[in-house]
Amino acid sequence: MTEQIALEVKDLHVAYGDKRVVQDVSLKFPARQITAMIGASGSGKSTVLRSLNRMNDDLATVTGMINFHGFNINQPNVNVYRVRQQIGMVFQQPTPFPLSIYENVIYGLRLAGERDRQVLDQRVEESLRQAALWDEVKDQLKESALALSGGQQQRLCIARTLAVRPEIILMDEPTSALDPVSTSQIEDTLVQLKEQFTIIMVTHNMQQASRSADWTAFMHQGRLVEFGPTSQIFMNPQEEQTADYLSGKFG
Amino acid sequence: MRAEKVDKIATAVVLSLAGLVGLLIISFLGYLLVVGLPNVSWHFLFSPAESFKSGGGIRDQLFNSLYLVVLTMLVSVPLALCAAIYLSEYAPQNRLTATLRLAIEVLSSLPSVVIGLFGYLVFVLQFGLDFSLLAGALALTILNLPLLTRSCEDALQQVPQLQRQAGLGLGMSKWRVTTKIVLPAALSGIITGAILSAGRIFGEAAALIYTAGQSSPAISYTDWNPFSPTSFLNPLRPAETLAVHIWKVNSEGLVPDARAVSNGSAAVLIITILAFNLLARLVGYLIKRRLAK
Amino acid sequence: MDKVKQELLTPSAESRQEWRGKIISYLAIIVIGGLVATILIFLTSKGVALFIQDGYSLGKFLSGVNWQPSHHLYGALPMIVTSFAVTLLAGIVALPLALVSAVAITEMLPPRVNQLIQPVIELLVGVPSVVYGYVGLTVIVPRLGRLFGGTGFGILAATCVLFLMVLPTMTSMTIDNLRQVPKQYRLASAGLGATRWQTITRVVIPSAKGGILTAMIFGMARAFGEALAVQMVIGNAAVMPHGLMSSAATLTSVLTTGIGNTVMGTTSNNALWSLALILLLMSLAFNLLLRLVAKKGAH
Repeated sequence: MTEQIALEVKDLHVAYGDKRVVQDVSLKFPARQITAMIGASGSGKSTVLRSLNRMNDDLATVTGMINFHGFNINQPNVNVYRVRQQIGMVFQQPTPFPLSIYENVIYGLRLAGERDRQVLDQRVEESLRQAALWDEVKDQLKESALALSGGQQQRLCIARTLAVRPEIILMDEPTSALDPVSTSQIEDTLVQLKEQFTIIMVTHNMQQASRSADWTAFMHQGRLVEFGPTSQIFMNPQEEQTADYLSGKFG
Repeated sequence: MRAEKVDKIATAVVLSLAGLVGLLIISFLGYLLVVGLPNVSWHFLFSPAESFKSGGGIRDQLFNSLYLVVLTMLVSVPLALCAAIYLSEYAPQNRLTATLRLAIEVLSSLPSVVIGLFGYLVFVLQFGLDFSLLAGALALTILNLPLLTRSCEDALQQVPQLQRQAGLGLGMSKWRVTTKIVLPAALSGIITGAILSAGRIFGEAAALIYTAGQSSPAISYTDWNPFSPTSFLNPLRPAETLAVHIWKVNSEGLVPDARAVSNGSAAVLIITILAFNLLARLVGYLIKRRLAK
Repeated sequence: MDKVKQELLTPSAESRQEWRGKIISYLAIIVIGGLVATILIFLTSKGVALFIQDGYSLGKFLSGVNWQPSHHLYGALPMIVTSFAVTLLAGIVALPLALVSAVAITEMLPPRVNQLIQPVIELLVGVPSVVYGYVGLTVIVPRLGRLFGGTGFGILAATCVLFLMVLPTMTSMTIDNLRQVPKQYRLASAGLGATRWQTITRVVIPSAKGGILTAMIFGMARAFGEALAVQMVIGNAAVMPHGLMSSAATLTSVLTTGIGNTVMGTTSNNALWSLALILLLMSLAFNLLLRLVAKKGAH
């Protein structure tokens, strides 16, 4: 197995004040693949995810190494904004800004100072196509993003993240607020996206993990229990806890 | 059966007492308008006050009140907004933040006369500003800061946390997230709060009698040089406001038509404050509608 | 790796923006914090000058009943008593009426009436205190004079004015607090067969208790610190009040009239600043009280 590694986590510990929520997690996320992180609520999977692009900076104490291209980004002197531009994030709830669809997509670019209309137009189309939203909205780019349906809004948020051209996209239960149809559209989108991007996704939805993820990490009570190819985790888990969780004994 | 009877009686009692309060309040407002409005005329609004004879207007007092509100808002809005940004976006959960919050609360509980005295002590005497619009505006700023900071902070807090995270997730700096995402979304709340606070300070008098002063020397509305002593824009001239005027005319006034002048002034004050309140609602509504589009 | 490392270690436009933001917002909060500290320090140092510089005894100041600057007598007790008296009287009359009005508005009257009343209350809260004082002077004082004899100026007139002034504030705060009681409580109570009145007295008011208390203290704090409206109707005689119709003076009214008539730094001026210090300490006490109520409500 000579997988390329996009991000490597070593001995990660996270604590909110005195409360330790993640302990001793080490993981290698393969590049241009989808990795799902599963586990019960409170297992620490979202906390790990949010640590990966330093979104936990103000909330928690994060220790351990997070290596991006072999360089530890969990150091105080690292420019967190550059990190987040490289490792983007999509959230549970769709979070369009109260602007037009077009302005939403190029939000990050505009802030980076890009003015060239052609570049912007091109990036909007490209990102929306990648997020599989282009055909639905190409005639209403100037209209408010708030008028879109929930599923469309979430794909818009994905497009907005893509437009910054990150290497890795973190997704925190991206479909938990959506209906089944939108969910399956997003899952299809993810499979397309992994050709160019590394996707790390937290999900509550076991079927979603088994359908779309190449790799699955199972977390329980702040610790990583098992990590491996999705088929192996689901068909032939090595740990008893994993098997119990997958069979619905707790969750 | 008994409980139902009690319910009926209690409802009747509560409603009639509330009706009584309503009547009291309506007659209070009604009285002010009925006796006040007949005195309000163009002549009253646009001619200067008299010291010893009747027929004086409130031109300068009205202008002073408005100008003072503008000056105060110029200082207090940026300060309150930045402080609110600190409290809402940057403040760590620690003792220092708790102390700062306590300080703002203490400030909001100070009686306006105490703030006026502090202004007299520091701005008028210590800084040598004398009785002036500037000293008055600084005193009103102190009066205005706590409530305005709170209303700005409330407006900022109303913006969903997810919107901030979405911005941070794109690699934006917190300051950018605040100015580009949070502030626009909170704008209607901030402006509404600012206008309401403007209405509040428009009618303030106790903080002003020893800061902005109780006299209004002749000013010229054609002199646009703010450094000229007779210019209407000069922030260093003493200025009696409308609310102070009502107090002054009634407590030591020498004009024979004090009643008429005060009645008219009170009506103008109330109508202006009503206008501020309506404007706040309107602006809030308009901005919300524009954002929703 | 080196390229990535270098890029991730160099500050970007974002880092600079972050600095700017921190500096601006921290500066603003420091200005406000410093302002409060300055106010407290200045007023305290001026307020204790009477005792330290002029050697006037604190006991005599607090318990003396004669305020006669010309005879070098600075007994503040009459003003302290009067301030508390008018505040408490106004609060005692205003509280039940505010509560009743709030209950009527939130629990009994249809929402449409509510929409009409809301702006009126907002307007009343915003009416300048000078206007309340003026109405007191021209309407209440003459009427009291005709009813009870005498001039009409005095404690009762001040109480009436303060009552009118704090009623809207107390009512609107009480309304807010009653509205915050979850609808489910009312439904659950009604579902158990309670009448509306039973629901109001056993569920709604008890769960808003802390907030109602806060509204009352807040209103009384405002009354205690009110200067001009009181000064216009109380008669301004710095003597111990002996009845509802007697002329008196509050801490604020003596301050209002006195500061302009004394020379900075003289004993009689310092005595006024000591009155201001009492006002300051009282407003801190009201603040503490509000915090205690809030803390108790949180449990």
